[in-house]
Amino acid sequence: MGIIQPVLIVALVVLGCFNLCYGGEEFSEELLLRPLPDRKVLAHFHFESTTPPTKDYGHHHHLFPKAIYQLVHKFRIRELELSFTQGRWNYERWGGSDPISSSNAKPPGVELWAIFDVPLDQVDATWKNLTHTLSGLFCASINFLDSTTAYSSPAWAFQQSSGSIRYGALPREAVCTENLTPWLKLLPCRDKSGLASILDRPAIYRGFYHSQRLRITSNEFGSEGIEPGIDLEQTLTIVVQPDDQRTSTSYSSGKMLQPDWSIRSIFGRKISGTCVLARSSSVFLELESTLVSELNKVGVDNAASDGEQVYPGVELSVAPDQVIKERKSSSVLFEFSVKKHDYKPLDIGVKWKYPIVWSCVQAPFQANRFLMGSGNERGSIAISLRATNHQRIIVGDEFRDNCEMRVVIFQVVPWYVKIYFHTVQVFLDGRLEHTPAVIEIIQVSPSEDRVSPGVMEIALRLPCSTVSAVITVNFDKGFLHIDEYPPDANQGYDIPSAVVRFPDIQASTYYLGENSSQNSPILSKFQENNPVLSYTEVLLVPLATPDFSMPYNVITITCTVFALYFGSLLNVLRRRVGEEERLLKQKAAGKTALLPLILSKLSSKLRGRSREPSESPSPSPLLSNKLIMKVILLAGLAVAWHFYFG
Amino acid sequence: MGALFAERKRWRKCFFFNRLRLCLLLLYFALLSSAHLCESATFDSFSSSPTAHTNNWAVLVCTSRFWFNYRHMANTLSLYRTVKRLGIPDERIILMLADDMACNARNKYPAQVFNNENHRLNLYGDNVEVDYRGYEVTVENFLRVLTGRHESAVPRSKRLLSDEGSHILLYMTGHGGDEFLKFQDSEELQSHDLADAVKQMKEKHRFKELLVMVDTCQAATLFNQLHSPGVLAIGSSMKGENSYSHHLDSDVGVSVVDRFTFYTLAFFERLNTYSNASLNSLFRSYSSNMLMSTAYYRTDLCERPLDKVPVTDFFGSVMETIHTDSTYKSVLEKRIVKPTSEYSCNNANNQAEQKRFFSGIVDPGTKEYSSSQCIWNVLRNKVEKIDNTDELVNYGLVIMVLLVALSTWVSI
Repeated sequence: MGIIQPVLIVALVVLGCFNLCYGGEEFSEELLLRPLPDRKVLAHFHFESTTPPTKDYGHHHHLFPKAIYQLVHKFRIRELELSFTQGRWNYERWGGSDPISSSNAKPPGVELWAIFDVPLDQVDATWKNLTHTLSGLFCASINFLDSTTAYSSPAWAFQQSSGSIRYGALPREAVCTENLTPWLKLLPCRDKSGLASILDRPAIYRGFYHSQRLRITSNEFGSEGIEPGIDLEQTLTIVVQPDDQRTSTSYSSGKMLQPDWSIRSIFGRKISGTCVLARSSSVFLELESTLVSELNKVGVDNAASDGEQVYPGVELSVAPDQVIKERKSSSVLFEFSVKKHDYKPLDIGVKWKYPIVWSCVQAPFQANRFLMGSGNERGSIAISLRATNHQRIIVGDEFRDNCEMRVVIFQVVPWYVKIYFHTVQVFLDGRLEHTPAVIEIIQVSPSEDRVSPGVMEIALRLPCSTVSAVITVNFDKGFLHIDEYPPDANQGYDIPSAVVRFPDIQASTYYLGENSSQNSPILSKFQENNPVLSYTEVLLVPLATPDFSMPYNVITITCTVFALYFGSLLNVLRRRVGEEERLLKQKAAGKTALLPLILSKLSSKLRGRSREPSESPSPSPLLSNKLIMKVILLAGLAVAWHFYFG
Repeated sequence: MGALFAERKRWRKCFFFNRLRLCLLLLYFALLSSAHLCESATFDSFSSSPTAHTNNWAVLVCTSRFWFNYRHMANTLSLYRTVKRLGIPDERIILMLADDMACNARNKYPAQVFNNENHRLNLYGDNVEVDYRGYEVTVENFLRVLTGRHESAVPRSKRLLSDEGSHILLYMTGHGGDEFLKFQDSEELQSHDLADAVKQMKEKHRFKELLVMVDTCQAATLFNQLHSPGVLAIGSSMKGENSYSHHLDSDVGVSVVDRFTFYTLAFFERLNTYSNASLNSLFRSYSSNMLMSTAYYRTDLCERPLDKVPVTDFFGSVMETIHTDSTYKSVLEKRIVKPTSEYSCNNANNQAEQKRFFSGIVDPGTKEYSSSQCIWNVLRNKVEKIDNTDELVNYGLVIMVLLVALSTWVSI
């Protein structure tokens, strides 16, 4: 037995590997690192599992998580995206139009949307069950999205779909270790080996931004899609500030040197190997086009360059296995294959030699949202779009005069913020515009108290020369029932982020390699044509909060008054002074005969109880009655005993 | 019930023997006067055969919101770590945390929670499963978990799927007062609510034994209304006493643990799954000097001697393994035989059964002197209608007195 067991295990592993290699299930793990202009580092983990369709492959899986497979089948999910985010993506500094910022920058808290493949009348019920299941799976309160006041069905502004989409967001949901752990458990190697093993919890949650995302695309029930089967994409995006070991020396120009960093300095661990189940396991280091052009400038100034440097001014601790250039811009991607470094831990690091200042490629407009007005009665929401410098780069100067830019805004507002949709106003460069001239389509569904939230979908057509566009809409604040207030009601209420989409601009990057772009899921993801998307801030609306002890005060004082009033009234009405005096006299007179009194009391008690239950005797006579009866009983017993046995 | 009817028949037969009627009466009064009816061996035949202890569950609740209540979460997580260490798996632990302390913006150590200023032990390790958190921790959800009345969509991981062989540890911490425990600073769980939920659990066979451990101010008052058999209760303080925090961590900026939980953990840190420490030794380990309050134990509802109950019965998951060489069948037989020799908490404590038994005895006694069956039936109906035992006793006594008086009068 002792010898057979390991042999069996080895055999099973070998078989498993064969199945893995030829079965069609695939798993890949990738990590993208990118220095950010504000001395921070972006780390983007990308794990992807795919499985062939059930009708070809069956129900049993080696790599694909069973929980997700069952979820897809039970709720007939066509597409699902769930994200847990803490912190806000800084669109200005960290970029706004690249694939990562468009698809991985998420609003704070939890965001969930799903498209179902069920008849339209069952969508709501399926959504409800899905939220409960996900809340159990990911240890979060996603089940708060099950009430109709919490979710909506966007018609066109969020995603193009046929009415079976549901969208919900919980801006205040806390995100912590307990959400990451079940997410990691979906990976075949968990966090025991491979890239996920460097995920040190304190390092992640110390960062400025972290967003874990799960996206399921399945084509189990329809035939429209190109790729059959289920595709599970798990990404974790972190923005951290590396510890600066050197004293930050300020250069003459006032520029700061970027901090040197390595994987070890960020996560506290090195990459010690691959997950053996992964088909590909690689780390990428991306230098943005703006950074590359800055580096080239520096290179011209300081011509002396070493052989180790990939670019003048930047030094890598490990030589990359491959250098990939972007097709359209001058971005550069260095690929490190973890498999090749299997024997010693991989610790990719970057050292900077010269201070370099660059800025990221932004979306054409930067979206912000804020509240206006004061008081607890009414206010208004303003969404402002400010043109960025990069608009010129994207659109091109020559078309500025006659071109137009489409902006789609999707906004969900809870019912207690009662939006007046007729008050929508658009200001272009500070001037109030005639709305039909600017708004291409507007579709609203007004909120219904305690039933559904207000949904606003607007498509704007803005001239490219626009510097700023502001949309305002007025609202009244509603009143809640006392039991509808959360425990920390004084903090205010969150309005989920608005989604701003630029359908004309695609966020995609094409990295052309010899064979890597065909193999690497992360690079093929980057090539997908997705419109640029950005989220606005979460708004905090203070609502009138009552003094919660007030109802109790009211109840107690009312009760006291009532008791005093009715008590004295009844006393006056019912009390008969003459009768009482007569009774007292009678009592005083009848003190002599004890036995008849007891007997009469007994009989009256027996009769009185059955006839008039309302007249309850006070406890002390009952006690004495009991006592007397027990004494009599004992005596009776003794007599009987004596009579029969004596 | 079958046994009950048989018993009644026997009594009726018995009543024909004239001489025996007084013995009968005497027996009846002897029973009445005995204070601990349930202990009497006569009743053992009426209780259903007890099930063996087969599994362990833990419900750990932190009811306090806001950062300054950090210590309550640390208390709960310490207990979570302990029960996990002693063998209760995560799927059998319902963890309710009312706020997020680990990833709170105020926390200097993100994703970490400490219960000691030496920071040696991170309670919020890599494998914490929080089942209810934030706004979900309400009195309603708490009672739903206990009583098992959930919406159909609620996943298994959020349910207490215990059965009649379960030992449940219910640990609660937060701010409390006389007969209540605050949830989220906005609502209260009253001792009546808790007792009612426990009673429901008992009715639904959701536990074999339940240990309620509460660390709040005036914790003892929370157990006042508990009447269900098989319940043990430990509270950190008596009525009128406060439960104090143990020490302040100046790095975290708040108190990190409460005294009662701190010393409970100090007791458990010395133990492992194989240790045989009894509940009694846990009780003895609390001293009011250290706690600055008086720990309270309520043991009257459970009849197992506490020095024979290992703490791992509640804080761990240690099952008795029966080694057999043969197949499944003999294991089953052994299982069935075993409980009869075992002490059980719920032996004949069922009050309803007591009442039926009383009425069964009273019946022949009253019939004895009434020649007509009609009156007898009327009386029996009346007796059965009476819910209050005091009333019943009073009536019985009065009738006895009359009978005795009559008999003496006849004999003279």
